[in-house]
Amino acid sequence: MFWRLLWKLLRGSSGRLVVAILALVSGAMVISALLNLEFDIERKLTQEFRMLGANLVISPGHDAQITGAAPSALMNESDAFATIQNLRDPAVEAAVPFLYIVERAEDTPVVVAGTKLEDLPKLEPSWRIEGQWTSSRDDQIPCVVGRNVAQQLHLALNSPLHLSYVGKTAQLTLVGIVDAGGAEDNQVFLQLPEVQSFAGLPGQIGLVQLSVRGTAKSISDYAARLATALPANEVRPIRQVTEAEGDLLNRIRLLIVSMVLLILVLTALCVLATMAALAMERRQDVGLMKALGGSIARIVALFMAEVGVLGATGGFVGAILGIELSRWMGQRVFGTAISVRWEIFPLTIALMAAVALAGALPLRLLGKVKPAVIFRGE
Amino acid sequence: MATLVQVEDLRKEFGNVRALAGVSFRVEAGEWIAIMGPSGSGKTTLINILGGLDTPTSGQAIVDTVDVGRLDESGLTRFRAQKIGFIFQQFHLVPYLTALENVMLAQYFHSTTDEKEAREALERVGLGDRIEHLPGKLSGGEQQRVAVARALINHPKLILADEPTGNLDEANEETVIQLFRDLHREGHTILMVTHASSIGSLADRRIVFAHGRLVQIPASLKSVT
Repeated sequence: MFWRLLWKLLRGSSGRLVVAILALVSGAMVISALLNLEFDIERKLTQEFRMLGANLVISPGHDAQITGAAPSALMNESDAFATIQNLRDPAVEAAVPFLYIVERAEDTPVVVAGTKLEDLPKLEPSWRIEGQWTSSRDDQIPCVVGRNVAQQLHLALNSPLHLSYVGKTAQLTLVGIVDAGGAEDNQVFLQLPEVQSFAGLPGQIGLVQLSVRGTAKSISDYAARLATALPANEVRPIRQVTEAEGDLLNRIRLLIVSMVLLILVLTALCVLATMAALAMERRQDVGLMKALGGSIARIVALFMAEVGVLGATGGFVGAILGIELSRWMGQRVFGTAISVRWEIFPLTIALMAAVALAGALPLRLLGKVKPAVIFRGE
Repeated sequence: MATLVQVEDLRKEFGNVRALAGVSFRVEAGEWIAIMGPSGSGKTTLINILGGLDTPTSGQAIVDTVDVGRLDESGLTRFRAQKIGFIFQQFHLVPYLTALENVMLAQYFHSTTDEKEAREALERVGLGDRIEHLPGKLSGGEQQRVAVARALINHPKLILADEPTGNLDEANEETVIQLFRDLHREGHTILMVTHASSIGSLADRRIVFAHGRLVQIPASLKSVT
């Protein structure tokens, strides 16, 4: 009979309850969208920030100057990479060595970076390359130049490039022109062994740049572990990137949590207004139920169950709509859909049921209805 | 016969208004009592106190050995569910429940529902073919018969009827009164508030109120003091 009564209550007051359920569905939709966004925002932001390039640098030491190939400012390539591999952190997207020297190209001094050309796209996903990073031909020494260098030296793809360094010369083939949007546009990129050979520094590198996924804290933690494993070197996060990421994440989270709380309060107020009107309408019914021997607990439980069903239904429908809303928002903000977090469903339903019950406080006042007063028409 | 209702010096005041000013009487089990008097004379207040819907200011109202005035809220709730069957002038049916569900509502608050028994109760009052109708689809007389079925469904010790025919036309009044005759014949104890002398004359006794007091106590009725 409980469920029969519950169903009849829901049907009997459908006009008023439509207002409450609309408020609950709307609230649940926005809340589930925001929560879904909140749960996924860290992953999305991390992805976005990884587009900005390296966020961790290993350099030779606290006092070293990375200005060229001075022996005191170098470190052993194999030691650094052995340590990185030993730590086996899956968050490391890319770890790329660099050795910088200044050579002359067509009598113009240029900074030459020896690196792993094939790993640069992983380290710097935002760099745009015209041509290729490497060449498959064994008879060529491939090189990539920044767009400013290409402009200054009037270089085109497949042009030859002559470099000279301390009496040594090399004939290179230009396979790519990179647009990095920074100082790298003024550099020439070669495979690391070529530069090591030029400089007479086999196995030596100037620094390692890493792109590490994760929060500012997890990156700092990883940096600390690296620093412990490489006591002779300096390991430091690139603060502008990691701090900007953490700061933005915190601001977005604060915004989302504030919005969720505000919507919860507004939804509760809307339900409260509807339920207050409903409580007035139901005084007669409650008076009758009491006259028939209905206990306060049983009567109020019936109305609370009604409100709970409303909240859960509103939460469920709203959560489905909210997931779609978050997909749309993700597409608009990040260019890709936000992943669906299924735990949002029970969370939204529970939140809406709680909000509905909080908004149903006026129904509790029905417990104080005196049948004799109601029947007197007061 | 055993005394089912015993009222001793019962008083009820609403602020400065004295609704009952020291009323005393007894009702034996199986009696049909008509409570009569002008509006505002305290009839409904008496019914409400005997039914546990209101509490007396002083005095005693004992129904089936239970002193209603001493019951707390939960005690009154149990008392109403177990001992009283109400029939109101305004019917007071829940508008969104069918006739059957209105009867089952009383079962639900009493103990457990029994749909078969509820159907039989409606058939007994001549509404076997109106069981699934909402109150809005029933005539006044039919609604009152649903209320009678609801009042009887839990086998109450005492039936309290407040102007049960007050809103009915002559034909429906006769139908409902016939139901009360049947109930009386079956041994139910009935206290009925009525303005109609014709209905009052059907009762075993009449108690007449004025200004919260009993003003007419037939000499032959020894149980009324």
